[in-house]
Amino acid sequence: MNPSANHPAGGRFSGTRFPEKGLLLVIVGLGLLLSIFGGSVQRPLMQTDPDGTRHRVFHTNASGEQEPVFVKENKFFNSQNLAQLAKDTSFVAIMAVSAMFVIISGGIDLSVGAVYALSSVLAAMVFQRFGPDGAGSGVSPWLGVPAGLLACLGVGTLCGLINGGMIVTLRVHPFIITLGTMAIFRGVAFVITKGQSIGGFPQVFRDMVRAEVGNGLSLVPLAVMVLVTVAGGVYLTRMAAGRRIYAVGGNELAARYSGIRVERVKLSVFLFAGLTAGVAAVLSLGYYGSATSGDGQGYELNVIAAAVVGGASLSGGKGTALGALLGALVIQMISSGIVILGIDQNYSQIIIGAVVIVAVLLDQFNRWLAERRLAARAKAVSP
Amino acid sequence: MKNRLLNLLIVIALAGAFASVATAQTKKNYLIGLVAKSQGNPVFQAARVGAMDAARDLGQKYGVNIKIDWRTPNEEDAQKQAEAIEQLVLAGADGIAVSCSDANKLTDAINSAVDNGVPVATFDSDAPASKRFVTYGTDDFSCGEQVMDELAREMSSNGVVAILGGNQNAPNLQKRIAGVREEAKKYPGITILDAFYHKETPQDAAAKVEQVMQAHPEIGGWAMIGAWPLFTDNAIKWKPGTIKCVAVDALPAELQYLRDGYVQILLAQQVYQWGYHSTELLMDKILLKKSPPAVKDVSPLIPVTKANVDEFAKNWQKWLPK
Repeated sequence: MNPSANHPAGGRFSGTRFPEKGLLLVIVGLGLLLSIFGGSVQRPLMQTDPDGTRHRVFHTNASGEQEPVFVKENKFFNSQNLAQLAKDTSFVAIMAVSAMFVIISGGIDLSVGAVYALSSVLAAMVFQRFGPDGAGSGVSPWLGVPAGLLACLGVGTLCGLINGGMIVTLRVHPFIITLGTMAIFRGVAFVITKGQSIGGFPQVFRDMVRAEVGNGLSLVPLAVMVLVTVAGGVYLTRMAAGRRIYAVGGNELAARYSGIRVERVKLSVFLFAGLTAGVAAVLSLGYYGSATSGDGQGYELNVIAAAVVGGASLSGGKGTALGALLGALVIQMISSGIVILGIDQNYSQIIIGAVVIVAVLLDQFNRWLAERRLAARAKAVSP
Repeated sequence: MKNRLLNLLIVIALAGAFASVATAQTKKNYLIGLVAKSQGNPVFQAARVGAMDAARDLGQKYGVNIKIDWRTPNEEDAQKQAEAIEQLVLAGADGIAVSCSDANKLTDAINSAVDNGVPVATFDSDAPASKRFVTYGTDDFSCGEQVMDELAREMSSNGVVAILGGNQNAPNLQKRIAGVREEAKKYPGITILDAFYHKETPQDAAAKVEQVMQAHPEIGGWAMIGAWPLFTDNAIKWKPGTIKCVAVDALPAELQYLRDGYVQILLAQQVYQWGYHSTELLMDKILLKKSPPAVKDVSPLIPVTKANVDEFAKNWQKWLPK
């Protein structure tokens, strides 16, 4: 079935077979720009021992002294920087995929940063219990790590269920409900932790998330991000349940009359939003090794910005999972590019804000062009 | 004759240009990353100015170019700080100075930077379990003790004291509060009512002071371990001198409260030195391979009173970003 054939809102699915090609072009352009103008960097050469420890490589100079060996690399286009870029993108991108689901359904989720914080701190308490200084330090990591993972994903999903449940039962706009739960979830996180940072997790868990391949590349967050995006993409485009989300967001009343259980669809997207906040929290806990109630402040706006840059329409019915990932990547590339190009950081917010607006304008222009093309085609075939 | 003079001038100009290019090329470049807690806090802007001044002074002293790369989140976010450290290492930074929003979260990023040959110094807020070679700043527990000591003197060792505690998340503020409580034990006539927490914005802090004063009119003194409410014009409602107040930090907006007699003593942290001295320590480590004698490099607080406030205020002309 061609997804564009009967899509309720047209938009992303209409007029083009690959709606993200514009974003991909932007990413390639940014990559080229940063590779050419970013210059090169000298980095100490590192070597990994068979036991996994990394150390610097030295050579003996003419006067018999040991000095470190340096390698010259392109500042942007090198494996470490690209892996870093992927890792930094992953936390937001994972949540942006589900934010895209919510936005396609015509809703909005302002509580995602707070869900991330609450999942983080509660799971951190479980992980700490099974950590080296915890009461359950003697317990097998095969029990401790799954318990922590379950806590993180479970809390996230539960928060999503609370959001979705209140939205469908109280029939209040998601903006209001999630504005309220944003404060409640963060408040609960604060009360539980008393504002303290929680660390000291089982080393197995840390090693699992920080697992490195090749020259110290940490690819687990990247792999999870790709997995979530692929799963989200397949669900949206290849499954009937996914298509119902477009239908609800495109025209809720029409969807209801056509027999779609709108409440169930809305509940499912908020459930997924909570779950992905939990997934992002797991990665953050494993990678950074601690959690506080202040984690994820303002992430809701980053996530929504990524979805919007990725082609979401805030009026619903439009967007793709891949678009969310690419939107997050564009924003992160700009943020990293500011460091690579040595631009004064004071300008970063202005640049990122401008990019969000330009992306939306370009998307609207693209849509206008597509509609014009369709109109011209229709005119050409009509007698 | 005229042509010969013109040729001579061109040759001199070209020689000058070549000489300056050659000097610039022979000078070695160093990049120091500066990662503070938040952009909006003026104390970190002063640290930034300090680091840039140090880069200029040390560059002249050692005949090198030093660039300060300021990578600070807009609002406190330890994850963003960790990302900034990782990005700075990849961008080829020679050293990094960081004020840690969450020590646990930054420890791995600091260790990774050090393992990659980039020395790290912490200032203001430390990551004690990390491989940083030095930490520079206020001893928070002593700071709390000093606040209480000065306040007890102002209150003639008698009365009810409230502590303004800022963000409950911040471990350094918790240590200051512990210092206040510990010092208060030395004064039997002093009672600590409680520590009152709030969002670290001037408006929230001023509102908290007002709420607490409404609920507890018996308060005779405020131990403000940060002077957040004093950024606003109208933070204090009591008559000057009726309630004693000692606060940490002495930013330009706060000095007027001292002049007007609402606040008796401001204990100034050496915020400009956070940047200046951290850069010095890093360049000593990078260029001279010299580590400080102790890992903890404590900077004392400077008491600012009505007597020396105008003299102290002149510092801010130098410390604020131009």
